[in-house]
Amino acid sequence: MALFPIHSNFERDFVIQLVPVDTDDTMDQVAEKCAHHSLNRRVKPQPGKILRVRRHCDGEIFPRDMTVASAGLRPTETLDIIFSDN
Amino acid sequence: MAKLKREEWYDLTRATNWTPKYVTEEELFPEEMSGSRGIPAEVWETYDEPYKVVYSEYVETQREKDAGAYSVKAALERSQYVENADPGWVSTMVAHYGAIPLAEYAASTAEARMARFAKAPGNRNMAVFGMMDENRHGQIQLYFPHAYTKLSRQWDWASKAYHTNEWAAIAARSFFDDAMMTRDSVAVSIMLTFAFETGFTNMQFLGLAADAAQAGDHTFASLISSIQTDESRHAQQGGPSLKILIANGKKEEAQTMVDAAIWRAWKLFSALTGPAMDYYTPMEHRSQSFKEFMEEWIIAQFERQLIDLGLDKPWYWDILIRDLDITHHGMHMGIWYWRPTVWWNPAAGFGPKEREWLEEKYPGWNETFGECADVIVDNLLNGRPELTGPETLPTVCNMCQLPIVGVPGSKWDVKDYQLEYEGRLYHFGSEVDKWCFEIDPERYKGHLNFIDRFLAGHVQPPDLMGGLQYMGLAPGEMGDDAHGYEWVKAYSQPKTDAA
Repeated sequence: MALFPIHSNFERDFVIQLVPVDTDDTMDQVAEKCAHHSLNRRVKPQPGKILRVRRHCDGEIFPRDMTVASAGLRPTETLDIIFSDN
Repeated sequence: MAKLKREEWYDLTRATNWTPKYVTEEELFPEEMSGSRGIPAEVWETYDEPYKVVYSEYVETQREKDAGAYSVKAALERSQYVENADPGWVSTMVAHYGAIPLAEYAASTAEARMARFAKAPGNRNMAVFGMMDENRHGQIQLYFPHAYTKLSRQWDWASKAYHTNEWAAIAARSFFDDAMMTRDSVAVSIMLTFAFETGFTNMQFLGLAADAAQAGDHTFASLISSIQTDESRHAQQGGPSLKILIANGKKEEAQTMVDAAIWRAWKLFSALTGPAMDYYTPMEHRSQSFKEFMEEWIIAQFERQLIDLGLDKPWYWDILIRDLDITHHGMHMGIWYWRPTVWWNPAAGFGPKEREWLEEKYPGWNETFGECADVIVDNLLNGRPELTGPETLPTVCNMCQLPIVGVPGSKWDVKDYQLEYEGRLYHFGSEVDKWCFEIDPERYKGHLNFIDRFLAGHVQPPDLMGGLQYMGLAPGEMGDDAHGYEWVKAYSQPKTDAA
């Protein structure tokens, strides 16, 4: 368990932001932490949609229960947080 | 005794190269300072400055310019213009004075480098006057805002900004250090005077002078017009350098210097001038949109100059043209959202009427940046102001030092151009910022942007208050909405048809 900085590129927001997450966080928890800094601040909620985490550089969508530690992320790597139907 | 005409003696008196006897030419003109690039001194002696001036003419003209600007200031001092001006326009001035005077002062040392180390005598002669110009610009733009420090401590940032680690000050220092403080004299003539001054000081000084006159701020208009006439003279030092480089097989290197400097200047101006022109200046006083100014001064005029000199359009020209609709809107929204982190009070500039103007000038604004504005307005109208301020930091580009922004809303397109170099992950706001880094990674790799400093533990405590403290922003200095959120009321009023 350790603090791990990532950059959040949240769908429909205009800016990328620094978000500290934890290496034990699942991707759902990462999405939630990123949402705190974008959703309802500059991005409207999308009812019925869930948030998924995607690696920015290659578009790989991570399983929702995968942890940060097991995703092979580099510190400060940029992640897309996208609205999804599933 | 009859005096000779200037043109009869000018060429002779500025032909000041000689054959050194006590030192070698390399010792007299070290390459890292002169940047002659292997081109012999006799070739540099053919440098022909298009604007010729001599000392007696110079001081006479400068005295008149100073007398004009200072007398307008004295005459209008009692009109209390600043006290009564629209707060958005006041913010434009406060931002300008923090960002410009000390950079001008620093530019006098860049000019001094050319005055001493340029192998071209004509360049040395012109640069002596350029050095004095920049010194005057530093002094006059420190003196004018000083009168207003009694109104707000933010005005004192004219003297303070460059001595702090405030993020916009880091961005400005990064560009000016790169383009003028750490380059040889030939590179300075190209990156500072040709790329930056020819194009972008026109934007800042002619553009803002027009807006200032429209806003009734004749003191500011006369001040910056007096500066611009100097800029348009000493900006001509780069052209002859470029001609010599191109004629001597150095076109590629010249093109790279021009391209990098134009891009870096553009990014800085997208954050400082773009918001001032399209959001802070009251709508009725805007002479042109930022995009229109860019299209006129950079895209059309500057492009023509490049072609005339024998250079090409920068490879990223299409990217730049596309970004005229995007980048400065993102910079503005970021500056407004992170408003405690700047030394001026950003005007939101997205009330209902302003949005009509933005949609007209930038079709699609409402479905992109307007979507973010809708959420901000909704929070302000419904008693959730805490959601209109930051709880973290924006990701900052490792080249321009500015937030990484893009298109929001339904056409969402925000990209981080990442690069792993020697084990470190760098982040860039555009393909061109990344290209600037890749030209010379050794030059840039050691620099820490604001996020790097935060993660390295330089900011303590590691939160917003620690960040403000690190940036040197004290209460009374940190920004807030220029109009005290009054503009939000227009959204709660029922719409009426125009009479």
